[in-house]
Amino acid sequence: MKKLKEFILNSRPWKSFFRHGWPDNPLDRSLIMTTNIFFHLHPVRVNKKSIKASYSMGLGIITTVMYILLSLTGIMLMFYYVPSVETAYFDIVTLQTKVPFGQLLRNMHRWGAHMMVLTAILHMARVFYTGAYKPPREFNWVIGVILLIMTFVGSFTGYLLPWDQLAFWAITVGTSVAAYEPLMGKTIQKLLLGGPEVGQAALTRFYALHIMVVPAVLFLLIALHIWRVRKDGGLAANEVKDEVEAEDGK
Amino acid sequence: MANKEQSFTKPSGKTYSLVEIVKAPTTMVDKGPDNTIFAFPIVAILELIIALGSTLFLVLFSLLKDAPLEELANPLITTDPAKAPWYFMGLQEMLEHMHPTLAGIILPVLAVGFLISIPYIDYSREGAGVWFTSKRGKRIVGWTALYTTIVMSGFVLLDNAFPPRELFRDVLPNLVTQSILPGGVMALLVILPAIVLWKSKEGSNPREIMLVLFTVLFFTAVVLTLTGFLFRGPGFELFLPWAMPGGYNPFDGL
Repeated sequence: MKKLKEFILNSRPWKSFFRHGWPDNPLDRSLIMTTNIFFHLHPVRVNKKSIKASYSMGLGIITTVMYILLSLTGIMLMFYYVPSVETAYFDIVTLQTKVPFGQLLRNMHRWGAHMMVLTAILHMARVFYTGAYKPPREFNWVIGVILLIMTFVGSFTGYLLPWDQLAFWAITVGTSVAAYEPLMGKTIQKLLLGGPEVGQAALTRFYALHIMVVPAVLFLLIALHIWRVRKDGGLAANEVKDEVEAEDGK
Repeated sequence: MANKEQSFTKPSGKTYSLVEIVKAPTTMVDKGPDNTIFAFPIVAILELIIALGSTLFLVLFSLLKDAPLEELANPLITTDPAKAPWYFMGLQEMLEHMHPTLAGIILPVLAVGFLISIPYIDYSREGAGVWFTSKRGKRIVGWTALYTTIVMSGFVLLDNAFPPRELFRDVLPNLVTQSILPGGVMALLVILPAIVLWKSKEGSNPREIMLVLFTVLFFTAVVLTLTGFLFRGPGFELFLPWAMPGGYNPFDGL
């Protein structure tokens, strides 16, 4: 068994893939973080405080996981869905009744979307109440606020796609609020819906926003958000003890 | 080739050189920074657990409850009540109490503007990474949350029972009953706890003022969203969620 492990770890394919040894020693545990694109978002060492569940509750990670799950289930839904007022509703009915696991797929996308909105809101509250927006993290907080708004937009544009009564009237009510903006309101509403009321033009626009524009913007901003967490020194919990120590050292 | 490989010493993987001697309270020789551990594998394992756990939760929930699908969209038949998605129900609830421009545009823009400006108003680094900053901060948040829940519920109920735009329809202009009056009451309710804190004997700092204002905003949003989502039934009238007429169930519209 040990020989087999040695053989695999020393084989050319393995070495071409992993640029570090088995991570059971400090050097390789550092290298695994710096040579792996997914791990390199993390620091080599973390403060014990910042990984305590009672500090962050993992809400940011859950939100990101929801984004990934929504992307995956969303792509699968696109295989069965055509954004046309004539067929959209019946595509959903077919998906739910004829496609294997179709109902589960749609359920996961629907509930996942609600959960992402909820965890994004809770994540913002957590960041605020732990004072994690303080310098040098001010701008990452601003990115977070934009991310929250984009999450709303993503969920709201998806709401219309099933083209049932629920979707139609929720979007009618939702977009009518925009019309109350005194200067540009009517223009904004028209731009969103592509016409005076919710119809094919609105469905086409919401579809394009929902499957392409919003996910792409979210992807970029999430990348930027996480990168800045890393660059600003990890979670704010890191600093609590360090500053006390620095004062003791004087 | 084999000879060439042997002519080099085995690479150590890392080299050290003395660059400078720095006088500092921590030296990193033979020990890591205090209170830290290698991120691998513990962080990878934690993230995997969170990812698998939340995926499992979503799959189980999706097996238990189906996503709603009503009849085909029909622009001629209005649903009753017609509600926006739940996260916009706070906005829709405010539309019931004040002028649409105020409820739908001005107050949301102010709220987002406030959120974005928080770190530029409270820019001290003190207390970063500590829940509620201090014991006092925790008390401030607790009392503000209680205050907000009570006064905002009261605002909704009072305005619903005695709507000024109906009572003073012929006496006062619309601008007063729909914008100035509800807007003024809202502003007063939001600012009041901040003034109480500011004038308190112990004084206050920007962080504590932010704690008050954010808590007011957050719990106002919670109260209004819950009111709109749970307590509004047919005709957008207030009902108890378990006593909705016509078998209407707010959760069917999620």
